[in-house]
Amino acid sequence: MRPRSVRHQPASNDGWVDVVQETSLLTILIFLPALGALGILFAPREMARVIALLTCGVTFVLSLWLIPPFLGAGDPSAAMDIFGSAYGDKLHFLQRIPWIQGERFSIEYFVGLDGLNMPLVVLTTFVTLLACVASWNFHTWKINKSSKAYFILFLMLETGMVGVFVSLDFFLFYIFWEMMLLPMYFLIGVWGGPRKEYAAIKFFLFTLAGSVLMLVALVAMFFYSADAVAERPDLALSYWTGEVLTTGTFDIIELSTNQAIQTKFNDGGTMFLGLRFATTMFMFLFVGFAVKLPSFPVHTWLPDAHVEAPTPVSMILAGVLLKMGGYGFLRLCYPIFPAGGYWWSAFLAALGLVSIIYGALCAMAQTDFKRLVAYSSISHMGYVLLGISVMSQTGFQGAMFQMIAHGISSPMCFFLVGVVYERAHHREINRFGGLWLTMPKYGTMATIGFFASLGLPGLCGFIGEIWVLLGVFEARDRFEWAVPVAIMAAAAVILTAGYVLWLIQRVYLGKEKPEHAGFPEATGREMSILVPLAVLCILFGILPKHLLFDYVNGTLNQIVGTMQDVLAMY
Amino acid sequence: MDTLLQNFWTPTSTDLFWFSPELALVGTIVMLLVVPIIMGKSARTSGRIALFGTVATIVLTLRVAGVVQTQGISGLAPPAAAGMLILDNLAIYFKIVLMLFMAGIIGLWFIGSAEKERNGPEFFVIFAGSALGMVLMAGTLNLLMMAIAIEMASLPSYAIVGFKKRNRAAAEASLKYVVFGGISAAIMLYGISLLYGIFGTLNFAHIAPRAAVMLHEGQNTLILGFALICTLGGILFKIAAVPFHFWCPDVFEGAKIEVTAWLSVSSKAAAIVLLLRLVDAFSVGAVSEGLSAAIFNNLALGLAIIAAITCTWGNFAAYRQRNIKRLLAYSSIAHAGYMLMACSIFMHPGLLGAGYSIGQSPMGAVLVYIMLYAIMNLGVFAVAAMVIWQTGSEDIDAFNGLGRRSAWLAVPMLFCLVSLVGLPPFAGFIGKYWLLLALGEAGTAYASVQSLGTIYWTLIVIAGTNTLISLFFYFRIIKAMFLTDDGQPAFTPSITGATMANLCGIALLVMGVFYIQQPRDMAEKYATHLFQPAAAMTHTMTTTQDVYNEKPNAADPDFRLTTIDHEQEGAQ
Repeated sequence: MRPRSVRHQPASNDGWVDVVQETSLLTILIFLPALGALGILFAPREMARVIALLTCGVTFVLSLWLIPPFLGAGDPSAAMDIFGSAYGDKLHFLQRIPWIQGERFSIEYFVGLDGLNMPLVVLTTFVTLLACVASWNFHTWKINKSSKAYFILFLMLETGMVGVFVSLDFFLFYIFWEMMLLPMYFLIGVWGGPRKEYAAIKFFLFTLAGSVLMLVALVAMFFYSADAVAERPDLALSYWTGEVLTTGTFDIIELSTNQAIQTKFNDGGTMFLGLRFATTMFMFLFVGFAVKLPSFPVHTWLPDAHVEAPTPVSMILAGVLLKMGGYGFLRLCYPIFPAGGYWWSAFLAALGLVSIIYGALCAMAQTDFKRLVAYSSISHMGYVLLGISVMSQTGFQGAMFQMIAHGISSPMCFFLVGVVYERAHHREINRFGGLWLTMPKYGTMATIGFFASLGLPGLCGFIGEIWVLLGVFEARDRFEWAVPVAIMAAAAVILTAGYVLWLIQRVYLGKEKPEHAGFPEATGREMSILVPLAVLCILFGILPKHLLFDYVNGTLNQIVGTMQDVLAMY
Repeated sequence: MDTLLQNFWTPTSTDLFWFSPELALVGTIVMLLVVPIIMGKSARTSGRIALFGTVATIVLTLRVAGVVQTQGISGLAPPAAAGMLILDNLAIYFKIVLMLFMAGIIGLWFIGSAEKERNGPEFFVIFAGSALGMVLMAGTLNLLMMAIAIEMASLPSYAIVGFKKRNRAAAEASLKYVVFGGISAAIMLYGISLLYGIFGTLNFAHIAPRAAVMLHEGQNTLILGFALICTLGGILFKIAAVPFHFWCPDVFEGAKIEVTAWLSVSSKAAAIVLLLRLVDAFSVGAVSEGLSAAIFNNLALGLAIIAAITCTWGNFAAYRQRNIKRLLAYSSIAHAGYMLMACSIFMHPGLLGAGYSIGQSPMGAVLVYIMLYAIMNLGVFAVAAMVIWQTGSEDIDAFNGLGRRSAWLAVPMLFCLVSLVGLPPFAGFIGKYWLLLALGEAGTAYASVQSLGTIYWTLIVIAGTNTLISLFFYFRIIKAMFLTDDGQPAFTPSITGATMANLCGIALLVMGVFYIQQPRDMAEKYATHLFQPAAAMTHTMTTTQDVYNEKPNAADPDFRLTTIDHEQEGAQ
């Protein structure tokens, strides 16, 4: 698997001389889980979980190979080298294979990695591995029918998730995006709690509602890009080859860098069904991603899905699937339609703020342990939306960090809930109490997890939130609403502290209750999930630069820079 | 005597070779009637004869396919007369798809009905008769032939629906079908007679360019529009487009399930292909007169509205159904709506200017969709039939726990249903995607033509929204199969049936992931090199005026019509 170097032909003196590595590592990462699923299909039932664990483990180890090219980006001079002169100039692990060719279009199997998706891919394989370990006691579950089907769907889900994060062709992205729906539907619907059917179809319906609009945008963007390159061939130099584009494209990088397309898409005179193209398309894409994020008011599927889903599925749902919303904003919405993002910015910031406050208030009102964690997710993802909406460097960085931090802390929280649910068989917060005394090791882990979720300085949740708030303040020159919004969002941290502290008090502190006395301490398997997550919570809290910002800032800053260039034109 | 004989026309052996697939079907019918007289009545023998007939038809179609090179052939008529039937790539494509589907249906019949059937020969005579009618429907541009073909397809369908003659529901369904069918046939004939009155010819290839000119010059547009609407009504009835759809759910519910499966695809597909042919003739006709195909924008708008309503209505109405056959009836209405959307694109290569050399994009998309739809429906109906025969219930509850009871049926059913919703990675999504792409192409190309561009983009949004609506009812079956389990006993399906269903499911998966391009390329190939009415006419006419002044040909059956035309002109 030696990387093959491909040198693009220079089109002019100043650009496009670049070395990209073409490897099939990402392809292996995508389809290894699917292969594992195939293996399970033909293996005896007892072997299902072993194969699943092996597959997840190998996938995770392989995904660590994605990190080295991004090392050393912390050095400012090296950052330029790594990320080049334009956004995503240095995409790594590229692989493009013609897939569907028409007379006037070509859809490619096109995957690649930059600072934006690299951390998310590693997060995906990591969380999936832990979730697989969490599924290890499948045979003790109340609904333990067909372990083969469970692990097959589980691995298919991983294929879909990795695929979404690494696709650089919009069509391919869409295929993977929809491919995740079916496994998730069955994982919730078959192995879920009492209202699983309702929760599963609600999840499906909300997500599909969003992706239907995305499909419309997919078709529209293709034809408008064809128009764009036909109208302004002088600007339509391809990002990859430097030659003039002659057809429309599904290539996300091309869509977000090609000047002819940028001009056409963001121009106020480009209309779609009588509405401005940029704002309409931005909204079409946004709805699809906002459902996944989830943002108020399309968040209602999340508490239901989480409460009904089995613990490992909840971990994946919270840890990975929610990140796809934020990733979609950063990969598609903003780079391609900066004018749309600018037009909607106040609205989006308001949605983010409402999500933060509403999610926190709802969390405070819950008596169901898992539902509380689910609402806290909505609140935390509100920060992501808020940070992105102001379109500033710090805001984007904060949003990205918040996604990763939440991707670590929320699976941990859901697993913590799962551990206690397995022992108590209920999730009523008010019936717990004194669990720290009963299960000291577990209690310690729980404290770390929930404090990370709270955003305690020194733990991972803090950096994301503060970066988002700084980003909003930073945008005060551009948006007059920035300062009041930032103040309100900062104040909302108190609400977060409120529900988390109150939760810890009700569940873990206090006198030991006799009915819980017999609870066994967290097992080795459970600790093997909790400890790595706890360690990461702490590490990301104290080394944010070295663990994340160094990898992602180059790409994010380039996105923001390109966005500002486009905005400056209008 | 000599002059009389001159007017007698005998087809040459070449003519007969071109139309050997149709003759094979006719031969099958004869065999079905004759063999029982000699060998005694046996349902299975009849089934085998019918199966052999379909295979022979496919083989002959493939042999004939080599004849079609560039233009297609219009034939089975005396020399220099307007052809009654057309042999071109479109007709060949449809014949192959229809006959393969028919073979699948006969396979289904062998599994479930062969034991009980007491009137095998009669059943298959009617069955093959309707297939013949549909094949003829897809291969004509002559209005008279069109009317005959639609009747030829309809009359056996009425009978086959009511074939279970002691069954009240079947009788009711059949009667409903006859009444609706009769009325729409009457309306269509009225429309055809009006067209005949206006243009003095029954050959649509001659009508289309002159209709374009009439619209351009603004004469008689009202009567022309009325005539076209009436004529299209008959076709829309076969498609079961709203508001001609009322027969569909009742007929589907009353008929035997293999008949339902047959009607759900074949009658719609045949009518869609016929409509495509008319739309193509319109576009080509307009272009041959130096006009844009957008001259028919009112017609396009009408079809687009009907398509949008059909699709939405079908999906919403399906939501309330608990009977699987009724549910699938509404599903078929909805899918007809998707296909109609692309049929509303009046477009022809060359009329769009540089940069838009699109080939036959909308037609190719519809042809792919028809094929995928046939596969999806065959799979769904095969599983549904197996479940109905096993449980004796047509309710959705009969599917409860099918994932446990018979995974070999539940999994292909899942694939087919998800494909019907139109979700990746299954081929149904690809089919829908080509349709959307065709609509987007039209929306961009017609951006400057009045409201046409907006119409097509709106259709895209409506098609997308309908995907969402359809999710509800298809997932009710999926939910029943995998999420609900009321402890019904497990069963082993017939191997043939399970194989058929699984082949459909796997085909959808494979065509949704690996072979996305190939079906499309194939359909594009069949969508080009059509019999082009305008091109075929170029040797006789250069301008409209020439058509009006055309020298009557003694051998031309249109001879008298041309005369009438002149008289009309004189009267004006």
